[in-house]
Amino acid sequence: MKVEYVGPFVDGAINVLTTLLGKTPERGKLSARPQLFTSQQVNVVCGVAGVIEGQVIYGMSVQTADKVASGMIGQTIITFDALAASAIAELGNMISGHSVTALASAGFPCDITPPTIIRGNNVKISTMNVPALVIPIKIEGLGEIEITICLREKAARIAA
Amino acid sequence: MAKRILITDDALFMRVTLKKILTENGFEVVGEAQNGLEAVNMYKSLSPDIVTMDITMPEMDGLQALKEIRAIDPNANVIMCTAMGQKAMVVEAIQAGAKDFIVKPFQPDRVLEALNKAA
Repeated sequence: MKVEYVGPFVDGAINVLTTLLGKTPERGKLSARPQLFTSQQVNVVCGVAGVIEGQVIYGMSVQTADKVASGMIGQTIITFDALAASAIAELGNMISGHSVTALASAGFPCDITPPTIIRGNNVKISTMNVPALVIPIKIEGLGEIEITICLREKAARIAA
Repeated sequence: MAKRILITDDALFMRVTLKKILTENGFEVVGEAQNGLEAVNMYKSLSPDIVTMDITMPEMDGLQALKEIRAIDPNANVIMCTAMGQKAMVVEAIQAGAKDFIVKPFQPDRVLEALNKAA
């Protein structure tokens, strides 16, 4: 897990959220995450595969998920239904897509897998043997999205 | 006569959003496919004027579906609409015959511009 992997995801999140919601988010402080942690109430898990592999998890409270989904759909949602869940999943997909595009340009070609949504209280996530870094992205009026980045380089790269 | 569009995306949110933009701007959405395999089968049965195609999907990804649709119909108009913007992917899609490549999130005008140019 390298700190260099974080930048593309932060930039991706800021760009995508600004385009979708019209507000520019702020990045918070980077910190390390233990291998077993209690997640947020709504999580989008995106797989990354290629020269870099692992998962990126976008976590937020139900209140933030409601507000973000409402912003994306264009009207206030009443319940967190299939459409709202799909909007949040697609948010994770778009941020991940932008981020791996930047990683590819930086010499780390990789791909993303379709996203998974996990919802609940006191859900524990384990990232197994790969330590994770977490960075909060704060959106004014909507709350915070935590990006948990759990990535490693697949094999030794051959020097060009 | 309204152009007939087949939308392909595994995300309900994207299908709903695209359908709204298209229908409000004079296009007819004749089908919604949830993955590349459905898109290929629906292409055969619906013969749409234009297909919008996501890339990252289960069952069959959009690049594979693009190639299969173009093999069925070398004149097929397929517009990629995806979160993946890597140069290699754009090149592969265009070389496989995609008419345009839109990166999500997109402005509605970008999609409409691409559709109006495609067919």
